[in-house]
Amino acid sequence: MRVVIAEDLALLRDGLQRLLRDNGFDVVASVRDGEALLREIEAHKPDIAVVDIRLPPDFRDEGLRAAIEARKQSPDTAILVVSQYVEQAYARELLADGRGGVGYLLKDRILHVVEFVEAVRRVAEGGTALDPEVVAHMFSSQTAGGPLERLTPREQEVLALMAEGRSNQGIADALVLTVGAVEKHIASIFSKLDLPQSGIDHRRVLAVLAYLQGQAPS
Amino acid sequence: MWSRLFGRQTWEEAAFLLSAAPLGTLWFSILVTAWSLGLGLLVTPLVIPIAFGMPFLITASAGAEAALARRLLGARVYPPHAPRMRASFWRRAFGWLTDPAMWRAQAYLLLRFALGFPFAIGMATLLGLSIGGIAAPLYYWSLNRGIRLDAWHVDTLPEALLLTLAGAAGLAITMLLFRLLARPQRSLAESLLERSAEPADTAPRPTVAERRRLLAVRTAGFGFAFVVLVAIWALTSHGYFWPVWPLLAFLLTLGLQSWRLFVDENPEHWRRPGLNHSIAGQAGASAVVFLFLVGVWAASGAGTFWPVWPLLGLTITVLARAGTLYFSPPGQEELTQRIDVLTNTRAGAVDQQEAELRRIERDLHDGAQARLVALGMTIGMAEQKMKDDPEGARELLEEARAGTGQALKELRDLARGIHPPVLADRGLEAAVIALADGSPLRVVVHAEVPQRPAAPVESAAYFVVAEALANAGKHSQARRVDIRMVRDGDVLTVEVADDGVGGADLNGGGLSGLRRRVEALDGTLRVASPAGGPTLIRAEMPCG
Repeated sequence: MRVVIAEDLALLRDGLQRLLRDNGFDVVASVRDGEALLREIEAHKPDIAVVDIRLPPDFRDEGLRAAIEARKQSPDTAILVVSQYVEQAYARELLADGRGGVGYLLKDRILHVVEFVEAVRRVAEGGTALDPEVVAHMFSSQTAGGPLERLTPREQEVLALMAEGRSNQGIADALVLTVGAVEKHIASIFSKLDLPQSGIDHRRVLAVLAYLQGQAPS
Repeated sequence: MWSRLFGRQTWEEAAFLLSAAPLGTLWFSILVTAWSLGLGLLVTPLVIPIAFGMPFLITASAGAEAALARRLLGARVYPPHAPRMRASFWRRAFGWLTDPAMWRAQAYLLLRFALGFPFAIGMATLLGLSIGGIAAPLYYWSLNRGIRLDAWHVDTLPEALLLTLAGAAGLAITMLLFRLLARPQRSLAESLLERSAEPADTAPRPTVAERRRLLAVRTAGFGFAFVVLVAIWALTSHGYFWPVWPLLAFLLTLGLQSWRLFVDENPEHWRRPGLNHSIAGQAGASAVVFLFLVGVWAASGAGTFWPVWPLLGLTITVLARAGTLYFSPPGQEELTQRIDVLTNTRAGAVDQQEAELRRIERDLHDGAQARLVALGMTIGMAEQKMKDDPEGARELLEEARAGTGQALKELRDLARGIHPPVLADRGLEAAVIALADGSPLRVVVHAEVPQRPAAPVESAAYFVVAEALANAGKHSQARRVDIRMVRDGDVLTVEVADDGVGGADLNGGGLSGLRRRVEALDGTLRVASPAGGPTLIRAEMPCG
């Protein structure tokens, strides 16, 4: 799997590069700003770009802007945005086009190497990876008395993990359930929230995210 | 010891205490005169000009006292301010009666007389006696005559020198007393002299158009009332035409309001040498008051033309102000006021900055820094165990990773509290919407901020909203919060209104820090939060 990294701090850039190489990725380029990122994506057509939000020259949201631009230019390259902080608004912008192949994680998650690598792989394959903080935020901004309260606590846990972008297997592992039990919960959630069923994991996740964001006041 | 007892500070404190004798007397006579005049004329229309004048008298006196206490005692005091020019007519005339700061200021002025006067006399006597004692040999030598002190007749040089010693001891004791008395005086000033809170002023300011409409309604109302009174007069007596009195009062009210409106409507007329907005207002108001007095004179039998005296007074006041303005360097008056305001707000901003830095330092010290130390220790232990107990080492490393995550989270929260990234990236509206999203309450955001204000203004506005939202969520039991942010020209207004139980305090913790932050940007932060609610917090800041 071919990766481009955009990160301005050399220490983190080298660390990320080493981590991904050790886990079998082919890091084809590492750059330190948004323009170079767009150039390298154009040149290498990688499977995924891992992008820091804050990049030179202004250290604001250049990385995010570059990522959104890259998605328009090269729709086949998945984007995983990593940052020291998460903002609801940025998650919304990244998810706005309703396609998969996108992720938004706190840099903290890189510490859990196995899960991080799994997330990179999932996003590269067209899935999603949303930070648990973003998901928690989506849950907390649901209006009280809404349909979410009809879900059992276990179903809410499953829904949260699904929103993070995990596969059925991943959810089953995290909650120590069988895949069958997870599927049953998911079916129940979809019927309670009145969402269209879909056999494909990724599409199902996008439906859940659209649902959770639609409820958010803005 | 010596320098502390006889240093500059002691003399300043002594000057403050002694100033109570003349100043206290002055305040006492001013207040007693004004109040007895006002109460005596309570039922006549004349009470209105007196009521108008009172707050200015009180503020000016309290302002002088505050300046004195700041300068001589180093007290942190601020005088109340007179009602704003833009407040309504009745509020300006009688609103100050409901301002606790005004009453405290009056209490302070009276205490300066009631307590200050006797103390000043006592201390002056002590001081005089001590200095007299010290000077005794001089006296003895120059007059070559004894000094008679009650039973003791001082008639030798050694005795006179003894008296000097006694005088010196007396002086030291006097100075010590001055020092000891300074502290209660300072705390008295600090507890009684304070800014007006002006909660009522948070109500939306009426626009010129609204004021014009209000004036028309009032004119119609007064006209109607007058017709009714004339009808009553015609039906009952035909005698003495008493409705002339209410008519005069109506005309005074309407005249003052129309002139004020006229002045506010044409601000550019009043920028000439020797003339400004406030002098124009005063001149017109003086003319109206004079006409009113002429009316009173005519209605009361047109005897000696006494209104000439108030005319003289009013004219001299206006001319004096205009003359001062004309001959003073441009903007002198405003500059002086400005310096005063800047001195106060700068001190507030520095305090606030200091407190903020201390908080950040403490957070770093107790949070991330401590975690990194623990992390280092855990990794060190893991290193030791690596060989003999790989499983134990793995557990320790797992623990270290969790600690790293925690440290990152703490640093992130800290950074967000200093300057939220989304504010820098996307501006005020996006940042406030993010805040609203995170609030458990129902929050409606209305923003009209076409151009981004300067970064410090934006960030102060953001933290005002953040604090107000946090308060609403924590204490107010509110269910809905309305946030309004409007940039009108160079002024950014931010309002946060909730439907909770009220009781927010501008002087409490978070809000007072924010007030200083906003004031340092030349803005104002006001809170209206009566017990029982609702709460309205409004910040206005220039952002040119």
